[in-house]
Amino acid sequence: MSSVTADHVPASQGHDDHHHAVPHGWRRWLFATNHKDIGTMYLIFSFIMLLEGGTLALLLRTELFEPGLQFFQPELFNQFTTMHGLIMIFGAIMPAFVGFANWMIPLQIGASDMAFARMNNFSFWLLPVGAILFTGSFFAPGGATASGWTMYAPLSLQMGPGMDFAIFAVHILGASSIMGAINIVVTILNMRAPGMTLMKMPLFCWTWLITAYLLIAVMPVLAAAVTMLLTDRHFGTSFFNAAGGGDPVLYQHVFWFFGHPEVYIMILPAFGIVSAIVPAFARKPLFGYASMVYATAAIAILSFLVWAHHMFATGMPVTGQLYFMYATMLISIPTGVKIFNWVATMWRGSLTFETPMLFAIGFIFVFTIGGFTGLILAVAPIDIAVHDTYYVVAHFHYVLVAGSLFALFGGAYYWLPKWTGRMYDERLGKWHFWSTMISFNVTFFPMHFLGLAGMPRRYADYAAQFTDFHQVATIGAFWFGLSQLIFLYVVLKAYSGRGEPAPAKPWEGAEGLEWSVPSPAPFHTFETPPVVK
Amino acid sequence: MTPEQRRRNRIAGIILAIIVIAIFAWTFLRGAELMN
Repeated sequence: MSSVTADHVPASQGHDDHHHAVPHGWRRWLFATNHKDIGTMYLIFSFIMLLEGGTLALLLRTELFEPGLQFFQPELFNQFTTMHGLIMIFGAIMPAFVGFANWMIPLQIGASDMAFARMNNFSFWLLPVGAILFTGSFFAPGGATASGWTMYAPLSLQMGPGMDFAIFAVHILGASSIMGAINIVVTILNMRAPGMTLMKMPLFCWTWLITAYLLIAVMPVLAAAVTMLLTDRHFGTSFFNAAGGGDPVLYQHVFWFFGHPEVYIMILPAFGIVSAIVPAFARKPLFGYASMVYATAAIAILSFLVWAHHMFATGMPVTGQLYFMYATMLISIPTGVKIFNWVATMWRGSLTFETPMLFAIGFIFVFTIGGFTGLILAVAPIDIAVHDTYYVVAHFHYVLVAGSLFALFGGAYYWLPKWTGRMYDERLGKWHFWSTMISFNVTFFPMHFLGLAGMPRRYADYAAQFTDFHQVATIGAFWFGLSQLIFLYVVLKAYSGRGEPAPAKPWEGAEGLEWSVPSPAPFHTFETPPVVK
Repeated sequence: MTPEQRRRNRIAGIILAIIVIAIFAWTFLRGAELMN
């Protein structure tokens, strides 16, 4: 981003509340149209879902502590696996990024609110409905769906009513995401302050703009895929039912046409957050701003062209394997540009290592490992060997936990002073980072070796030779889960008004319009648009 | 938000919603075509 300075931020910015009543009580939240309130609700919701999905993960790890069946039958184990994935993706990671978008995009582009404030409210309130359907499906006859988060046919055609709960939940959460994405695109394109050209926008807005286009393009594909599942299950069609002339592999193609861009939907906003944090704590402008924008767009375009690398084991022709293999490898180029730019931003900077910066550097380090294992998995012959093993589980957790989640934590610490008006507890923040970083690697690093040794994913039982690494992973998982309670405490402490009062701009090297308003950000901001130089 | 901004927002929102519905319908119809 070129240096953005607000030429004209009205002096009354912090006093807008006098002119417009701030709603109180439950009505403030139920009928919320203010982007900050809705952002807060998104963030609280996603953290609750993180805890629910995390609890399911710990139940899985408890069962896997020893070979044999200790606590759960395989059917229930597979329900936990499925719901862990669905809840984490659709309930935790995606809504968390939308929460960040709601809070920060209007503040960063100098808009008074999101373009469609009432639709914003509706987008949020669909989320609890979806969450209730996911959670409630455990109580359906036969329990929740056990088909895996990918809901592959024909298994998903044979599941009980829990599958219908999941399909409906995906419809609802998908509708919420689409509305959120439309809102973000329109807000960024139409609501920017005078002088805030696209190439002056903070990179977080850019990454979200591109992510929103991805969502608009692929969420309807997922909706269509699960609708076809629904009609196959109940309305006599045979899209994916081989017995009726359908093709189960067609489901995989349609699903992964959504599923691969979905990976980038969950990581591109993380790139935007890291691109805000690194320059602030390196006290240097972001290196290669324009190349960051183009790299983000390149990753998004390529994400549409590589879906079948998830399907090397379906017996596709060699030419198809070669195409998807090389196309997948191409993504490493724009991703490498980003890693290079973050490192170059830090190069000879006046670095300090507050908690947001620790999470950003942790992200760069561990996400890169996840990227490398992704490159290894792109090689078709290797992928066929390790397909559906713990190697894949390790890979995508390095990308989604150390990638998306670390960036979310970094962003939360970075903007918490703006949200709460209080500085968070730096000592506890650092404890949270180191505990999370170490326990994450204790949990997931051994999974690479489990996978290479042949341990399949989604199994409740395993051969005795895998015991040691499974036990290490389980200990790490509980450690990781407990570490998140530190984060909860730090956030609650800041929200309850304990801690040093935060200035408008708590980070010396931070740039952007969000730091021109007081901390905490007033209920109404930029009602008179600032003029950006 | 100015009335002009409101109008532009509405137009952009409707265009994006049409794109969403078109992609959904196309995926479903293309799937139905492959079934025959």
